[in-house]
Amino acid sequence: MNRPMDDAWRWRFWTLLAIVVGLPLLAAVLLALRFLPDRPVTYANIEDHFKYGSTGGERNAGFPLFIWKVLPVVFKDKLPPNGGEGYEAFGMIYENDEQGRRRELPVGIMRRRNLGLDRVFVNCAVCHTTTAREAPGQPRKVYVGTGASHFDLGLLEKFFGDIVVDERFNSNVLVPAIEKEVGVRLGLLDRYLIYPLAVFVMRERLMMVRNRFGPLETEKWGPGRVDTWNSAKAGLSFVIDKLPRHELQGAADFPSIWNQRKRMRRDDGQQMQLHWTGNNIEVKERNLSAALATGATPAVIDHVAIGRLETWLLDAAPPPFPFPIDEGKARRGATMYAEYCASCHGKSGQDFSGKWVGHVTPIDEVGTDREHYNSYTYDLAANQNVFYAGTRYRFTHFRKTKGYANLPLDGIWLRGPYLHNGSVPTLRELLDPPESEAKGGSFRRSTFYRGYDVLDPVRVGFISDVPEENGRKFTFYSTKELTKSNGGHLYGVRLPAADKDAIVEYLKTF
Amino acid sequence: MNAWTPERRKRLRIALVVLFVVLAFGAWFGWYKFFRVVPQPPFNTADERFLYGSLGGEESAGIPYWIVYVLPRVFPDLFPGPNGWAAFGFSWEEGQELPVGFTKKTVGFARVGNNCAGCHVARYRLSPEDKPKFVPTGPNHTFNLEAFFRFLVDCARDPRFSAGALMNEITLASDLSWIDRMIYRFVLIPITKKRLLERGPRFAWIYNHGLPYWPDWGRGRDDAMNLTKYFLTTSPVDDTLGPTDMPSIWNLKKYKTNPNTRLNFAGDSYDANTVIIDSALGVMGAGPSNNQAFLDQIAWLTKYLEEYPAPKFPSAIDQTKAAAGKVVFDAHCASCHSSQRTGTVVPVGEVGTDVERIKSWNKQAAIRANETVRGLGIERRGLVEADPTGYVAAFLDGIWLRAPYLHNGSVPTLRDLLRPADQRALFFYRGYDVYDPVDMGFVSMEEQAMRLGVPWEAVKAVATPYDVRWRSNGNKGHEYGVTLPPGDKDALLEYLKTL
Repeated sequence: MNRPMDDAWRWRFWTLLAIVVGLPLLAAVLLALRFLPDRPVTYANIEDHFKYGSTGGERNAGFPLFIWKVLPVVFKDKLPPNGGEGYEAFGMIYENDEQGRRRELPVGIMRRRNLGLDRVFVNCAVCHTTTAREAPGQPRKVYVGTGASHFDLGLLEKFFGDIVVDERFNSNVLVPAIEKEVGVRLGLLDRYLIYPLAVFVMRERLMMVRNRFGPLETEKWGPGRVDTWNSAKAGLSFVIDKLPRHELQGAADFPSIWNQRKRMRRDDGQQMQLHWTGNNIEVKERNLSAALATGATPAVIDHVAIGRLETWLLDAAPPPFPFPIDEGKARRGATMYAEYCASCHGKSGQDFSGKWVGHVTPIDEVGTDREHYNSYTYDLAANQNVFYAGTRYRFTHFRKTKGYANLPLDGIWLRGPYLHNGSVPTLRELLDPPESEAKGGSFRRSTFYRGYDVLDPVRVGFISDVPEENGRKFTFYSTKELTKSNGGHLYGVRLPAADKDAIVEYLKTF
Repeated sequence: MNAWTPERRKRLRIALVVLFVVLAFGAWFGWYKFFRVVPQPPFNTADERFLYGSLGGEESAGIPYWIVYVLPRVFPDLFPGPNGWAAFGFSWEEGQELPVGFTKKTVGFARVGNNCAGCHVARYRLSPEDKPKFVPTGPNHTFNLEAFFRFLVDCARDPRFSAGALMNEITLASDLSWIDRMIYRFVLIPITKKRLLERGPRFAWIYNHGLPYWPDWGRGRDDAMNLTKYFLTTSPVDDTLGPTDMPSIWNLKKYKTNPNTRLNFAGDSYDANTVIIDSALGVMGAGPSNNQAFLDQIAWLTKYLEEYPAPKFPSAIDQTKAAAGKVVFDAHCASCHSSQRTGTVVPVGEVGTDVERIKSWNKQAAIRANETVRGLGIERRGLVEADPTGYVAAFLDGIWLRAPYLHNGSVPTLRDLLRPADQRALFFYRGYDVYDPVDMGFVSMEEQAMRLGVPWEAVKAVATPYDVRWRSNGNKGHEYGVTLPPGDKDALLEYLKTL
């Protein structure tokens, strides 16, 4: 007897179990599938990995992809008014994919599935990739490993700092804008929970960025330049307003990053002093320091992905000069170069030997703009020792030096404008004195434009007297402004013009 | 009735074993995460041990490492300057994880304590373009100890001292495991906050300040005897104030030359060993967890400090002029500074320098302090159980680096000390580290800054103001050699460079 009753209870028991245990379990599995994956977009090709691959920094600093895409649309009025479209207004580069379609993200933006979203952030390539054209009508080529001469990081930071205090920076504006402008349909969970939460978290993070980095006046840097050390101070939460004025402006050019292996050894057997000021000799430490700028902190850094880049950069070499070289003239230039330049800058573009290569020349001797040198302080060097604390990567090699490092000149034709602060538009002009010391002869121009990417096949560098092309305005550079002086490095300026031309011809082979 | 059937017994046994395993694991886990003592890694040099070696105070008073790490990130506005821990004027060597005087030791978790080197490593430069040079056992004239004390309490009192705000920064900077993050969030941060808040009331007297009656100590000074009174002996807070210069502690064997020598500015202790023990106890903020280990470190320190040589003057010395100066010195200075009297107490009525430091200590305090230390089971010769009556006639070894001068640091340079008291500087800045080899002292006035090419703004941004009219800051007295002809004074200064 009682069997029907037992069955009923059994049925009820299983139903209850399904509700109490099964449903939450199912929900948990679904949520886990949605939120737990942590997967970067990967690239087999090393150059693609450099341009678009992850450093791990997106886990910490990554913007949700759709928000990243909608920001320049919603805040179009906050873009720099230079005629550029979207992120191109900051000098970012959009390539086409294999099918010839414009890529979704520009060079230097990495992407990872993390916390249930596609998140994007800048990687190394954003500051170390440039475009160049051989003539105005020629195709635009992308070159990796050199300074991003046309990219305005300062304006990009200013943009993010501006929009975060704009009243449109809220989910009621941004979420509908995603659906309308990016053209995706968000699910209920995304629309009502995840994206509003993402906007909230982003606002908190960007407020921190605005508060710490805003006082640096990043908009003054100009394209191709960054105030590395004051950014480091801001990251360390130094109170920027209280710093002495003489160390507060330190913008300098993005450097090239090829041939790292050869930079690990100089003539005296030591490692070369790296960075413009020569403040570190350890390539690994320098790399981790630079990677901090991509959001890659000790907790989130992807050592495997970065290691792949480091290995590649050991021997990555610059591309050859894309124009014909006058061999005879270059040979004559080589002897002049050997006499006047080689001891500090290496025998050639491939051979970095030379007594003073990778050493620091005292600031008063080289005489170039002091501001970047001033911006790197002993106290900052000491504070940098805490980065990566608790791991075997802790920084121990940062030093305050007495001047600027003598750098090898590999790929120098693609590294214009010249000097650490990008104050001399072409190599040929670097062999002339500044206007004030020219005494009627030829001189380094005091004003020019940065951002135009057509190469100068004669003077070497980018053509820099073009203020505008097809409605895109370029950035005015005046050597009278702080951090931008074109004085100093007066080596070879008294040579006859023909000898200078020959040296420049030889430098084209680097 | 429940009989102990074999089956029940077996179940009970299993339950007990499981319980034991769980408890044992819990105990091991608690020990591992909170009490396991890992010795500091060995030091390469004696100097390194002095600079970073633990005194053994981390167990009771150490602050969890990652809290120390993120304080500059979370509370930048509470620092006296813009550059993190460096803002307090600690020496910080290139490549070192922590400033000089900070010790890192793992007791369950990494903890940070302090040691003697925080106050007793001097720094100087000869030009603002130079890097600082660090001299172990020298007086840390740049260190703002009072600001450091206040800072730790102020942080704990700030609403930002919460698990949320601190963990936000810790997570950015570290790769701590989930368990360690939980330990920080729910145990270490709340306990640290509580401990720091408890310091507050005992530091009431350093919050009392107002001019001119309660000046700040300023850089390079501490109210040493009041610290001893209130922290070693928990005497009631009184109305005295006696900040004095951080002293040099090199070459301590000199005090052994004569049985009448006394240490501390007012001759408050009999021997170096006593001073080192008492100072170390003060720095640790608590009794040692292991007396033998503590006394071993003290013995090592005593030996190190006895033998450490005074630093040589870093620029050229005119030997002829110095020889002439020696004659002046022998005639006017040697009777106190190079004689049987050196290192002994000179009555304050005779030397005439500021009296506040003497008032800040007394016989009763000495008796109490001696009792306290004895109570910890530590034997030492002890503090002099008598009211102080004057100031010790100083040994002058390495005097060039011991600016500013007199016990309270009221005279910025040696040249100024050779002027009559009413012509000495009334107001100057102390704590900047560029050295003036002409007047012999650190750049502390605008005239010196201009002469040496130092931006005056840079001095004022770092240094703290000093006015001799504020209480305990008087620059009167010690008017010896003040009427000498200028040539003799120059020669005398040259000779002092050789000491």
